[in-house]
Amino acid sequence: MNLARRKVLQLIGLLGAPTAFLLVFFFGPLLIMLVYSFLTPGIYGGVDWVFSHLNYGRILGWADTRYEKFDPVFLSIFLRSLRLAALTVVTSLLVSYPAAFWISRMSPGRRDFAIFLVTLPFFVSLIVRLFAWVLILRPTGFLNQGLMGTGLTSEPIEFLYTDFAVVLGMTYVFIPFMFLPLYGSIEKLDMAQLEASADLGATRIQTFRKVILPATLPGIIGGSIITFIPALGNFIVPSVLGGAKVLMIGNLIEQQFLSARNWPFGSALAMMVMTAVLVLLVVQLRLARRGGA
Amino acid sequence: MPAHLEVVAARKAFRTPEGGVMTALDGISVKLASAEFVTLLGPSGCGKTTLLRCISGFETLDSGDIVIDGSAVTQMPAHRRPVNTVFQRYALFNHMSVARNVGYALEIAGKDKREIRTRVGEMLDLVGLAGLGKRSVSQLSGGQQQRVALARALAGKPKLLLLDEPLSALDKNLRQKMQQELKAIQRELGIGFVFVTHDQEEALTMSDRIAVLAHGRIQQIDAPSVLYQRPANLFTADFLGESNLLPVTLGGTTATLADGQTFATPHPAGRATLLLRPEALGFALPDGPALSFTGRIAETYYSGKDHQITLQTPAHGSIRAVIRAGGQSPEIGADLTLHAPAIGLHLIDEVAG
Ligand SMILES: Nc1ncnc2c1ncn2[C@@H]1O[C@H](COP(=O)(O)OP(=O)(O)OP(=O)(O)O)[C@@H](O)[C@H]1O
Ligand SMILES: [Mg+2]
Repeated sequence: MNLARRKVLQLIGLLGAPTAFLLVFFFGPLLIMLVYSFLTPGIYGGVDWVFSHLNYGRILGWADTRYEKFDPVFLSIFLRSLRLAALTVVTSLLVSYPAAFWISRMSPGRRDFAIFLVTLPFFVSLIVRLFAWVLILRPTGFLNQGLMGTGLTSEPIEFLYTDFAVVLGMTYVFIPFMFLPLYGSIEKLDMAQLEASADLGATRIQTFRKVILPATLPGIIGGSIITFIPALGNFIVPSVLGGAKVLMIGNLIEQQFLSARNWPFGSALAMMVMTAVLVLLVVQLRLARRGGA
Repeated sequence: MPAHLEVVAARKAFRTPEGGVMTALDGISVKLASAEFVTLLGPSGCGKTTLLRCISGFETLDSGDIVIDGSAVTQMPAHRRPVNTVFQRYALFNHMSVARNVGYALEIAGKDKREIRTRVGEMLDLVGLAGLGKRSVSQLSGGQQQRVALARALAGKPKLLLLDEPLSALDKNLRQKMQQELKAIQRELGIGFVFVTHDQEEALTMSDRIAVLAHGRIQQIDAPSVLYQRPANLFTADFLGESNLLPVTLGGTTATLADGQTFATPHPAGRATLLLRPEALGFALPDGPALSFTGRIAETYYSGKDHQITLQTPAHGSIRAVIRAGGQSPEIGADLTLHAPAIGLHLIDEVAG
C-alpha cells in the first residue's frame, strides 16, 4: 500500500511537468477555440459571449442571416484540403516506399549518408525552398524552359497556382515525414521471410502483397498520418505555390484570425480540421488493434 | 533407383568486399536417390549453405546444372522449383497465425479454403502441433517454431526438402527428439532430404549418406559407417571423429610403421597413412593383435562408460585410445601396452604434409 502510494507519487513527479505543460499550452488553447467556435464574433474582432451555432452553419449549410450566410465555398475548400492532403500522402508514399527499400539495402556507410540526404532539406528554410519551386514552376521557369527547349511544348504550361503545384510542394515538404517511419518498418523486414515466401512458391508480387505489405503496414499508416495531419492544415505551401486560386483550409483559418479578425468562424473552421484528424486517428486505432493482435 | 536430384559440376564464386574472389562451390557433383536422406557436413564456410541456396534457386550457379527428376531447373526462379526449405532461423511469417504459415504454399497456389484447412490439419498432426493453428507464431517455443517451419515446408508436397541446420538453435534433449522425429517423418513421406549440419553425431545417426565438404568440394560421399571406418582421405579421417594417423611405408604385401612393426596389406609400394580409431585399441586380444603400442599414460579422462587415454609412445608420439571402463583404472604416469586387431586398421593413400 505504502509502496503503491510511493509509485503514484513518483509517477506524478515524473509526468507532472509535461502533463501540466500539455494541459496549459495544448488542451487549453484547444478548449478556448472550441468555446469560441460557439460564440458570436465581436464587431471589432474578439468575441461576444453570446452562444451561436451559425459559425458551423456558414460552413455546413444552415446559416441564413444577413451577415452569417452559408457559402458552399467553405465546404469545398475543406473538401479540397482533404483531397490535396490525401494526394500528398499518396505521392509521398509512392516516392518514399521504393526509396526506403533501396536505402535499407545499402551498405551501412552509404545508408547513413542517404538518410542524412533525406533529412537535409530540414536544414534550409522552408520559405526559401518553396520560392525555389516558384522559380522552377513559373511560366518562364526552368521546367517550362526545359520543356520548350526540347520541343515537347511550344508554349509555357501553367504549373504554378494549380493543385499540381500544391501537391508537388507538399509532397516535397513532407517526404521526410513519410520516409522516416516507413524506413523504420522496412529496415526491420526480415529478408529471410521474403526468401521463405519465394521458396513456398510466391512470385515477387505475391510476396509483396502477403508478406512485405502487412509487415510494413505500421510504417505506412504511421507515415501517412503524420504526413496527412500537417498537410491538411498547411497554409504556407498553398499560399506560395497555390496563390489565390488554390486555397486550403489552413489559409482560410489564417485569414479569419489575422485579416478578417473573425475568431469564432476561424475557430469553427479549425474544429473541422480537428474533427477530421480525430476521425482519422480513431480509424487508425481500430486498424492497429485489429492488425497488431 | 532413379536419381532424384542431380547436381552436376556446380561452380559458384563470390566477389568479396575486399576485392578478392571466394570460390564457394568448386565443381560439386552429387546424385540423390528419391527418398534418400543426405547430409552435408563440413567446417564453417565450406559452402554448405551456398549449395542449398543454389538448389533452392536463391543463388545462381556460375556453371554446372541442377537437375530435379530429370529436368534441369538451373535457370528456373526459386518460386517455381519443386523444393522447399526449412531455414536455420525458421523465417516464419510473424504477422500470420500458425495455420496460415503452414498453409502459405497452398494459399499461394490458389487452393480452396477447405482443402487448405484439411492439409494444414494433417501437417500440424504430423509435426505434433495439433490444435495450435490459431496461435500466433510469437507465442510458440523455439521447438514449436521449428515444427511450424517444417510443417510449412512440407505442406506444399515438395519433391525435395532442404534443411539448413534446422536443429542448431535447440537444446540438446530437444534436438535428439527432433532428430528422431525428422527421420521418422522423412521415412513416412518418402521424399528426399538434403540436410545441413555442423554436428557429426547428428549426421552419423540420421543420414543414409553423408557428403563431407571442404573448400567447396566434396571430399567423400558415403554411408555413415563407411565414412567413419574407411575414410577416403586424410581430411575425412581427421574431420570425422577422433583419429590416430600414423605414417607407414608400403612394401608390396606389408606395411611398416615407424617403430618397425608390420602388418599385411595388399597395397602396392609407396607411402601411406594408417588410420587407427581410438576405440579400435584395447587390452589383450584372443586372436592376437595385429599391432601393439607401448607407452606412458599422459592423460586420462573418465566419462562413466569409458576411459579416454592419451598414450605417449617413443616412436609415434601421442596415441589416443578409448577403453571400456570396468577393469582397473589407468593411472597417469603408468606404462601401458594397447593392441589393435587387423580389422581396426585402415590405410589412406595420402601422406600428411
Ligand atoms: N553472398 C555472399 N557474398 C560473398 N561471399 C559469400 C556469400 N555467401 C557466401 N559467401 C562465402 O562463401 C563461402 C561459403 O559460404 P557458406 O555460407 O556456403 O558456408 P557454410 O558451409 O554454410 O558455412 P556455415 O557452416 O558457417 O554456415 C564462405 O567463405 C562465405 O564467406
Ligand atoms: Mg551455412
